[in-house]
Amino acid sequence: MAKKKPTLFFHIFIFVLAQLAWLSLLGLWIYWFVSNQFIFNRMPEWVSEEMVSQTTNLISFVGGLVLLVAISVAMSLIFRNLNLQLNLNRLYDNFIANVTHELKSPLASIQLYLETLDQRTVPEKRQQEFIASMRHDADRLNTLINSILDIARLEQKKIAYNFYVHETSNLIKELVRESREQFKLNKNTITVQGIVNVPVVADKNALQIVLNNLVDNAIKYTEGDAKINIEMSQTSKKVLIKVTDNGIGLASKKQKKIFQKFHRLLEGNSPTIKGSGLGLYWVKEIIHIHGGKVSVFSPGKNKGTTFTLELPIYKTSKKRYIEQLLKVTQKLRRTNPASAKENDE
Amino acid sequence: MSKTQKILIVEDEKSLAIGLEYNLTEEGYSVDIAADGREALRAYSPGVYDMIILDIMLPYHDGFEIAEKIRQSDPQCPILMLTARTTDKDRIKGLEAGADDYLTKPFNLKELLLRVKRMLERKAWYQSSTAEQPVVQFGPNTINFANMSATTPTTSIRLTQHEALVLKYLIEHKNQVVSRQELLQNVWHTNPDVETRTVDNFIMRLRKYFEKDPNKPKYFKSIRGAGYIFQEN
Repeated sequence: MAKKKPTLFFHIFIFVLAQLAWLSLLGLWIYWFVSNQFIFNRMPEWVSEEMVSQTTNLISFVGGLVLLVAISVAMSLIFRNLNLQLNLNRLYDNFIANVTHELKSPLASIQLYLETLDQRTVPEKRQQEFIASMRHDADRLNTLINSILDIARLEQKKIAYNFYVHETSNLIKELVRESREQFKLNKNTITVQGIVNVPVVADKNALQIVLNNLVDNAIKYTEGDAKINIEMSQTSKKVLIKVTDNGIGLASKKQKKIFQKFHRLLEGNSPTIKGSGLGLYWVKEIIHIHGGKVSVFSPGKNKGTTFTLELPIYKTSKKRYIEQLLKVTQKLRRTNPASAKENDE
Repeated sequence: MSKTQKILIVEDEKSLAIGLEYNLTEEGYSVDIAADGREALRAYSPGVYDMIILDIMLPYHDGFEIAEKIRQSDPQCPILMLTARTTDKDRIKGLEAGADDYLTKPFNLKELLLRVKRMLERKAWYQSSTAEQPVVQFGPNTINFANMSATTPTTSIRLTQHEALVLKYLIEHKNQVVSRQELLQNVWHTNPDVETRTVDNFIMRLRKYFEKDPNKPKYFKSIRGAGYIFQEN
């Protein structure tokens, strides 16, 4: 269960308090300096003149000020990081609640079927149905566990490492074909528009994860039958892939947050509550690894959503970074051909 | 021949709902499934179902909201919350929303079936025992067991199912000492070795509702070391 959210007022209050504390400290320092001015002025009389430079007063004053400003900057940084940490903790609590639900529901179902088969005489036809349900739930658990365990690999940029040059249109068509098969969709559910004959460097498996997540979201957040349109276009340096659905859409203020790790949009009208809050984070990270960008736009609630993926055109944009990706792939292929082959498949 | 008891399962996990449906049907109940909050509210109308098994995390309307809406029109229909949410806060929120029992996933099949059976028995006992005398008066207080409401000189109260059951049990055993264990066994159907504080809390609530001075109770008296007694005079 999520902890009580600290209010904005609370954060501002702490910040103001911290600023008052350091301003008081600054005031005290100035007061100390002014009240000791007399002693500073008399210092040359007490010690030999060689020991005291004419600039002693100025150095002491400026030194003190620099110290206090440094304290202020440090406090601001601590405050900023504390806020980030609090936000992360809140998202983490959400994640735990979501994952608990996602883990326990299939587990409860598997346990229920096992106990049913153990305690009752179930007709053979139903037994087969129950076993199929258990398999489905076990697959769901497996997928979820893998996506959690793979976060560390994703963050260390170890998920996408099989980069090759692909012709954009062919690549997208292959990815769409694969998604249709995985989600058992008919041809009309996903339509593809536009032809882009420029090359991009991509890890096909990683981009498949991206498309699958977007398709999965579109299906989950659409009432009735989902319709997904993929439109390809290009600018002088980038390939643009727009994935538009007819789902429940997003309020504009929520559009920025949806790529955050663990963030989930759970509203009263949501047609689904399934999910771990990791899917769009995966999308963002994978596209970043490709040297690209992802953004979202929705005209509003119940007006669908468009995700725009931008990928650099090969040998036109981000040349050094893209060449580096290809080099890493070649190196990995030489050192571990088996894993590269496995990834190809 | 007795009428087949009807249960509504509100569960968005299709495989779990089908498994529950199979087991409850095997036990002789008639079962309907609602896959989300919207379907649940559409399917439900007072008197149609004898019991509801309700998940919390549901599309469109969550289980708390559904329980509250059902309670507004039907104070008697037993609701069992079956959920992956395990915190005390959720449990309390569920019970406050109107659930009569709370079971967490994954659950033991036998335990679930037993709880369902007990809840339905409790409902049947309550209905049969209140059918003859649905309205009871003591002092200036009036209790309507049929719609689970009560009026006192200062206010009118909507009783929870457990409050009504405790009241009913004590009034039925008027002038007799009823032990905490007896109440736990017959009202809550739980192990009497634990949770005796639960009974004390309920008696305290009843005193707050119906006694002029809850510290010097006139109707719901404690008998030291034995339990409680309901006396009208």
